[in-house]
Amino acid sequence: MSEPILQFEHVSKNFFGAMALHDITLTVRPGTVLGLVGENGAGKSTLMNILGGVIAADEGQIRLKGKLYSAGSPADATRADIAFIHQELNLFSHLSILDNLFIDRFPRIGRTPLIHRREAVRRAKEALAAVNLSISPRTQVDRLTPGQKQLVEIAKALHGGAQIIILDEPTTSLTSRETERLFALIERLRREGRTILYISHVLADVLRLADEIAVLRDGKVVRTGARDEFDIDTMIAAMVGRQIDQLHPIRRGKPGDKVLMSVAGVTEPGIVKDISFDLHEGEILGLFGLMGSGRTELGRILFGLDPFRSGTIDVCGQPRRRRTARRSIAGGMAFVTEDRREEGLLMEASVAENMALVALTNYRRNRVLGTVDQLALRRALDEMTASLKIKCVNPRTNAVKSLSGGNQQKTVIGKWLLRRPTVCILDEPTRGIDVGAKCEVYSIINDLADRGNGLLCISSELDELIGICDFLLVMSKGQICGRFRRDEFDEERILAAAFEGHVERGPRDSSGASN
Amino acid sequence: MNMKTLLLTVALLGALDVVVGGLSCSRRVPIEDQLTICFGFQDLETEFWVAGHKAITETLRAKGIRVLERNANQDANRQLEQIRDAIAQEVNGIIIIPQDGESAVTIVGEANRAGIPIAVFNRPPSDRSNPALVIVADNEKIADEAVAYMAKVAREKGEGRKWKPLIVVGDLGDRNAVARRKGFFNVMERNPDLFETPIEVPSKWDPATTLANLEAALQANPDVDFLFTSSDFLYPQIKAVLEPLGKWKKIDEPGHVILGGLDGDSTAYKLMKEGYVDATGVQDLFFEANTIMEALLAAIEAGEKMPEKWMDDPGFALTQENMAERADEMWGYRVLHDE
Amino acid sequence: MQSSDSVTSQTRLACLREVVIGRVLLSDSFVLFLSVAYFLVLWIFLPRLGSARNLSNLSSNIWPLLVLVIGQMFVLIVGGIDLSQTSVMAITSVCGALMMTSGLDPELFARNPLWGVLIGEQGGPAGGSAAAAPVGIAFMLAIGMLIGSANGLAVARLKMPPFMVTLVSMFFFSGLAIFITRSENVRNLPDAFLAIGQSYLGRVPTGRGSVGLVPYSFFAALALAVAAWFVLARTILGRWLYAVGMNRRAATVSGVPTDRVIVWAYAVSGFCAALGSVLYSSRLGAGRPTLGENVLLDVIGAAVIGGISLFGGKGKVRWAFYGVLFFVLLDSSLYMLNLKFYTVNIVKGVVILVAALLDVLRNRIRLGRAPTGRAVAA
Repeated sequence: MSEPILQFEHVSKNFFGAMALHDITLTVRPGTVLGLVGENGAGKSTLMNILGGVIAADEGQIRLKGKLYSAGSPADATRADIAFIHQELNLFSHLSILDNLFIDRFPRIGRTPLIHRREAVRRAKEALAAVNLSISPRTQVDRLTPGQKQLVEIAKALHGGAQIIILDEPTTSLTSRETERLFALIERLRREGRTILYISHVLADVLRLADEIAVLRDGKVVRTGARDEFDIDTMIAAMVGRQIDQLHPIRRGKPGDKVLMSVAGVTEPGIVKDISFDLHEGEILGLFGLMGSGRTELGRILFGLDPFRSGTIDVCGQPRRRRTARRSIAGGMAFVTEDRREEGLLMEASVAENMALVALTNYRRNRVLGTVDQLALRRALDEMTASLKIKCVNPRTNAVKSLSGGNQQKTVIGKWLLRRPTVCILDEPTRGIDVGAKCEVYSIINDLADRGNGLLCISSELDELIGICDFLLVMSKGQICGRFRRDEFDEERILAAAFEGHVERGPRDSSGASN
Repeated sequence: MNMKTLLLTVALLGALDVVVGGLSCSRRVPIEDQLTICFGFQDLETEFWVAGHKAITETLRAKGIRVLERNANQDANRQLEQIRDAIAQEVNGIIIIPQDGESAVTIVGEANRAGIPIAVFNRPPSDRSNPALVIVADNEKIADEAVAYMAKVAREKGEGRKWKPLIVVGDLGDRNAVARRKGFFNVMERNPDLFETPIEVPSKWDPATTLANLEAALQANPDVDFLFTSSDFLYPQIKAVLEPLGKWKKIDEPGHVILGGLDGDSTAYKLMKEGYVDATGVQDLFFEANTIMEALLAAIEAGEKMPEKWMDDPGFALTQENMAERADEMWGYRVLHDE
Repeated sequence: MQSSDSVTSQTRLACLREVVIGRVLLSDSFVLFLSVAYFLVLWIFLPRLGSARNLSNLSSNIWPLLVLVIGQMFVLIVGGIDLSQTSVMAITSVCGALMMTSGLDPELFARNPLWGVLIGEQGGPAGGSAAAAPVGIAFMLAIGMLIGSANGLAVARLKMPPFMVTLVSMFFFSGLAIFITRSENVRNLPDAFLAIGQSYLGRVPTGRGSVGLVPYSFFAALALAVAAWFVLARTILGRWLYAVGMNRRAATVSGVPTDRVIVWAYAVSGFCAALGSVLYSSRLGAGRPTLGENVLLDVIGAAVIGGISLFGGKGKVRWAFYGVLFFVLLDSSLYMLNLKFYTVNIVKGVVILVAALLDVLRNRIRLGRAPTGRAVAA
C-alpha cells in the first residue's frame, strides 16, 4: 500500500446554514481511479470544487502528498498539479487548440513578449499525441466535437503536468466511440501513475473504471471500498438509504377523476420526446429525474415559455397550440420557476409588489386608466402574507432580497396563489430553503391539492416527492421512463428508473457527430 | 431629516462651492462706472471670425470696457440662454453674431424687452420686427463687383467661346450666402453670351462637405474654367481639388481657371499676390467692427433702450488691376502684416 | 475611562458613516438638498443669482428640459436608453413648422422636395387657418409617438440593443429633417404657437422693465409631470414598467406583456421629445432641422443626477425634477461665472460622471444592505 496522494480530513462546508459537506474523510492512493457517486446535491461537486480551489472549506483540511494543501483559487490548484475538467468545458471557442493549450503559458522567444509559434506548434502536437488526438493544433475549437474538446482539455491538463485529474460527468455529451477512447486514455494515465477522480451518474462506467468507489449521501461519505465490493444495486442502495422522517404532511386527499391537464405526445427535438400524462383534480403529480433529464424544460414547455414541435397540451379542456405565459396564466396555470432570483422575483421590489405582480389585472378598477383597487389588493395581499406565514417587518417597504430563502419562496408561491390557479407547476419548490420553511411549503401544496387543484411538482429530491406525491413520473434523457403510483413507491426502483438510460451500456444512441 | 443630515449636506457643498466661488472671486473687480458689454458669438472657425472677434474684444477692452464673451458653439438655443443670462446680469450693451436670421430676431426681442441696446454683427436678422443696430456688408454688391471683374477678364481673353462657370455656394440659411449667390448670378445674367449655365456646389460652410461636393462636380464637369467661391476660407479645398487636375495655374499660365472669392482674408491676399486668384470681394471687417461698436457705445451713452439702425458696409472688390493701390484696405492684408 | 471614550468615539464615527450613507447618499431628496444648498451658498458669491430676472430665466430653462427628461425616464426605467430624442425634436420641429407655416420664401424653399406638393409660397397645409397651431402641435406629437413606437418595437420584438436602435434612429431622422428642409429654418409660424414658448402669465416689475412670471411652458411640463406620476404610481402599466426594468425574465414569466410595455415606454419618450420640440421651437420662433443637437448630454446628465438609474427599474417624476433643477442651476451658474464654454463643458462632464458613479455606488450599497432595504417604486 503506497503513500496516499490525497487525504481529506474532516472536511465540512456549509452554505447559508445548510450543510453541504459534513465531516468528509477520504483517502486516495496514487495511480488509482476513484469513482465518486451520489445523488444530486449529495456533495460531490462541492467537494471537488474545494479541491479545485473554486471554493474554500469551512472546516477540516486536505493533504496533498502528506503536506497541507489549500487552494485560494483555481490557479493555485493548477500550480499544485491538480486539474479539474468541468462538465461545462472551459475552452475559448473562437480560438485555436494551440491558443487554448497555451493561453497562460505561451513559449516565448527569449525574454521578449513575442510568441515562439513554431515551438508552440511542436509542443501542441506532442500534447495532442498524448491523448491520441490527431487534429491540427490550428483548428478552431468550436469546430470540434464535444469529445474532442474534452480531450483538448485533458491534453492541456496533462501538458501542464497534472498529477491529479478530476473528471466531472465526462461522458454526458460523448458518443460511444469517444467514450471508449476516453476510457483507454484513463487506463493509460493510470498506468503512468496519475490519479483520477471520476464523478459520474453512469454507474456501469464507474464500475468499469474505478479501483475504489466512494458513495456520498447528504454531504457525508456513507460507504467506501474497493470496486469489487460494489455492484449497481449496492451503489444505489447506499445512495438512497435514509429515513423518510415526518417532514411531510399526511397525504389524506385523493385525486378525483376529472382531468385538469392532458398532455399527449409532446416532443421537442433534443429536449423532450413523446411525453404523455394526465393531471387530475386534487392530484399532486411528481416529476423526478436527474440533471439533464429534461424535467425543467418540460415544465417550461407546459407553461408556454418554450415551444414544442408536436403533440398536444390541453388545460381545463382547452387545447392551445400557440402558448405564451400570459395565455397560460389566463387559462388558470401557475409556474413557480426553478430559480427564484432569475425568474421568480424582482429582488429590488417590495414583498407586496412582488406578490401583486401576477394578479394585478384582477384588481383593475378602471379599464381605461388602468388604475388599481388599492384597498382590495392590499387586503388580499395581507391575507395571503398571513396565511403563508411570510415573515417580514413591513411587506410594503421591505425589499424581497432582504428575506430569507424560505420567505422568498413563499412570496413567489403567494404571488401565484393570489390568482387562484387550477393547475400549478412547481419546479424545485424547496430548493435552498431551511427545513422549517420546507414543512410549510409542503402543507401549502397539500392544501392546494385538497381544494381540488392539480399540481405538478418537479424535483430532484426524491424523498420529497415520495413524501408528498400521489403519482410519480420519472424522466430520463427527455423521456418518461417510469410511472409509479403512491402505493408502489420504492426508492431504489425509482432511482434505477432514473438511471435507466445510464445503466445499460448496450446499444447506445449516437449523439450526432462522430469523430 | 435631522440636523446632522442637513449639516452634512451643506458641508458636502463646501467642496464644490469653494472651488466655484474661488473661480468667481478671481473675477471680482466691478468698477462702478465701468461698462459691461456681452459679446456672443458662434465658434471661431474661420480667419474672418477670428479677426472679427479679436478686433471687437481688443477695441472694447482698450476702452476700459468689460467684455463678457459667450461662445454658443453654433447652438441657437444656447445663445438665447446665454444672452438671457447676460441680460439678467444687467450688462450695458450686447453684440451678437447669431447662428441664423431667425434666432437673431428672437434674441434681439429679448434685449428689447429688457431695454438693453443690442447690436448684430455681420449676419442680419431675417426681418426688422425687432429694432437693433445692424451692420451688414452688401454682399450682393461686393460679389457682383468681384465676379464682374472676372467676367471682364474672360471677355478680354477673347476666345470667342462660352465659359463654364462654377459657384461654391455657402450655407443658404445664412443671408449673406444667399446675397453672394445673387451677386454672382446677376453677372451671369448680364453676360448670357459669355457663360453657360453655372454649376452650383453646396458647401454648407463646411470644408469637408465642400471637398466632397467639389470633387464630384469636377468629375462630372471636368471642363470648368471659371470658379467663384462664396468664401475665401474654402481656398485650401479648392486647391486640393483643382491641383491634381492640373487646373491650379497662375494667371499667365495656360489652363488657368479664372478664380475669385469673397471675404478678404490673408489666404486670399497671398493667392492674389502669387497670381492664382483674379479677384476677391472684400468685406471691410475693421470698418464693420468699428462702426458697430461706435454705434453701440453711442446708444449706451445716450441711454437709448431700443436703438435701431441698419448700417451698410459697401466693401469693394480687390482685383489684380487695383491691387497695388488698395491692398492695404483689405483686412487680410492687415492681419498678415500686423503679425 | 480611555477605552470607553474611544468606544464612544468609534460608535460616533460609525453613526456618522451610517447617517452619511444611509440618510444622505441614499436619500430620495439628496439632489434637492444639494440644489438648494448649492443655490444658497452660491448666492453669497453671486447676488445676481437671486434676481427676479435670473430666476425667471432659470425657470424658463427648466420646463422644456424637464419634459425631455421625463420621457427619457420612462425608457430608463425599463432598462433601455433613447438616444434619438434629439432627432425626434428636429424632425417634429420641421414637420410641424412646415404644416403650420403661413409663408415660405421661394428662394430658399423652391428646391425643396415637397415644394408644390404639400408646401408652397402660401405656407403649409394648415398655414393661415385658425386651427394651424393645434393641428401642427397634434401632428408633431403624433410623429413623436410613432417614431418612439418604432424604436420600441425594434427593441422588444427584434430584440435589438436599445443603444443601437436609437442611435440609428437618431442619425436617420436628423438626416431626414435636414433633407426635408434643405437645412433651412421654417419661419412665419402662427402667433398662438409662438406664445407657448415666449409668453408668460403675469409679469413682475424689475429694475429695467419687467420680467415674466410663469412661462406657458410651465403648464405643459406640469400637465406632463402629473400624467407621468399618475401612470407610474397609480396604474398597472406603471408597475409593469418597473417590473420589466427590474427583471425582464421574471416579468415575462409572471405574465407581464413585456413587449407591449417596452413599446409604450419608447412611445412615451418619443411623445415627450415632440412636446419638448414644441416648447423649444416656439421659444426660438422657427422650425429648425438642427433643433436639440446638443441637448442629449443635458437630458441624460439631468436624469442621472436626479437618481434615475441607468441600470433600470428605478425612477420617479420628482427625481427627474430635482435632476433638472440642479443641472440648470449648475449650467447657468457656471456661465454666470464667465468661465469659458469648454471649461463649463468639462465641469458638467465631471458632475455627470460623479453622479453616475454615485448611482453605481448606491446600487452596490443597496445590494449589500439586506436588513433595511427599501422599496423603490412609487
